[in-house]
Amino acid sequence: MREEAFRFGRARHLVGIAGVPEGAFGETGVIVLNAGMVHRIGPFRLHVELTRQLNAAGYPTLRFDLSTLGDSGASGGGLTRTQQVCADVDDAMKLLAERAGCQRFVLVGLCSGAQNAHTVAASDPRVSGAVFLDGYAYRTLGYKLRHYLPRVLDPARWTRFLRQRAGGGGTDKPAPEPVFSVAPAPREEVIADFTGMVGRGMKLYLVYSGGISYAFNHARQFRECFGKVMDHPGVTTSYRSETDHTYILTGDRARLVDGIGGWLARNFPPAAGRQA
Amino acid sequence: MRTDPELPFFFGADSGLFGMYHAPASTPRRAVLMCPPLGQELIRTHRLYRQLAQALAAQGIAVLRFDYHGTGDSAGDSAEVDWQRCIGDAVTAAGELRSRAGVDRIVAFGARLGGSIALGAADRARFAEVIAWDPVIDGDDYVSALDTMQAALREDADRFNQPRTHADVAEQWLGFDIGDSLRKQIAALKVTPANVPTLVLDSMPAGAAPRWEPLVSTRGRVAAIAPPTPWNDLRRLEAAILSHPLIQAVTGRMAEDA
Repeated sequence: MREEAFRFGRARHLVGIAGVPEGAFGETGVIVLNAGMVHRIGPFRLHVELTRQLNAAGYPTLRFDLSTLGDSGASGGGLTRTQQVCADVDDAMKLLAERAGCQRFVLVGLCSGAQNAHTVAASDPRVSGAVFLDGYAYRTLGYKLRHYLPRVLDPARWTRFLRQRAGGGGTDKPAPEPVFSVAPAPREEVIADFTGMVGRGMKLYLVYSGGISYAFNHARQFRECFGKVMDHPGVTTSYRSETDHTYILTGDRARLVDGIGGWLARNFPPAAGRQA
Repeated sequence: MRTDPELPFFFGADSGLFGMYHAPASTPRRAVLMCPPLGQELIRTHRLYRQLAQALAAQGIAVLRFDYHGTGDSAGDSAEVDWQRCIGDAVTAAGELRSRAGVDRIVAFGARLGGSIALGAADRARFAEVIAWDPVIDGDDYVSALDTMQAALREDADRFNQPRTHADVAEQWLGFDIGDSLRKQIAALKVTPANVPTLVLDSMPAGAAPRWEPLVSTRGRVAAIAPPTPWNDLRRLEAAILSHPLIQAVTGRMAEDA
């Protein structure tokens, strides 16, 4: 299978790479959105590895750059960023519909990509599935107990604290520089969105990493954050505490890609899979 | 037929190389081939490469950006990246640029290992000049730096909740699988001067710059760029590298030739 490069969109302002396996016409298309400011190949080439593995499994894919990211330009017109994201993904869905006959789509996004995928998935009926990697998260009571209680009960920490205090100062460790961040949306709004998505038959896969331990630190937190909608059979969750936010280790990345592929195969089996 | 100022396409023998052609508004008389670095440096410099390509195109210069086999959007896995193939891909890309732009004279630009590849490909690709930004001229030092950062990554508390095992981080450099042959090829790398004029743009941190003189002793020069570029800072591994002075230096050099 050969990938094709496209300049597309209502102002021909978008750049993307489509992979369409032979015989995949009419299948569910997978669209991968930018992670933060990284261009369409993804952090450490994650999106290339993901889309090619999904192509091999029979799924048409498109990895592309949203307006003003990567190699894509601005479309002109006075759209808000949210409207722009929806319009860009609409352009992407139209391209994959034209190339592969796809009528329904699964969106994949990491961090701000998850936020953008969420925005589109909440409102566009053509989206039948979504993979949110380190999407919205909220520090729940459970998070705080898990985070602070071990520290409060750790004698070594108290010893260090008291020694530093006696010494008259703390360390000068520089604050870590966050590379990606997701602006918070109201939690009730996000819960309502998830409820609406699964209510209309969407399948969701929420994967959170140890790289966002400032906001999320246990598999139980899916339920603590979003409530009973997480028990819906259309929702699958995975907490990978050992990994970082952008899957820098190739083994972690391979397991993530396998996980997404397995979730897709169970929820959106390609034609070859149905015949098997 | 509609002509886009920036055209993405695949090229090469198996249509496996990804390229982005920047066409100037008028018929070009000069062209620049932009050779990317490898690994995470390719991702960190993507935006800067695009900005530079656009600035050069605005000067009436045809520009081709591209990805080597196993990198970026090109075909192949990261573990398949091969030094000689990278040089061959640069030669292929130069041919593609000549064909698209209708221009024979090509200047090559490259950052870090991209600069080294441009120098290594200069003869076969018939580059008229090479502009190399902090090129790697001693591969052994480069390998040591990557190994040091990869070892530090294993227990980077800003990234992992618990230190990872040695096996977890083995045979990789900062996010990319690394084949044993590429490791050996880069470790053995000793870049020699190209037989063409060479401009070295030096933004290495103080004390880290190698001796550039051998590269430019016959036909070339070195120009300093400030501030220093943090190529080897693990804390900024995922921060884009942007440099207005670099764009000014390259566009300024090309303007001298206009």
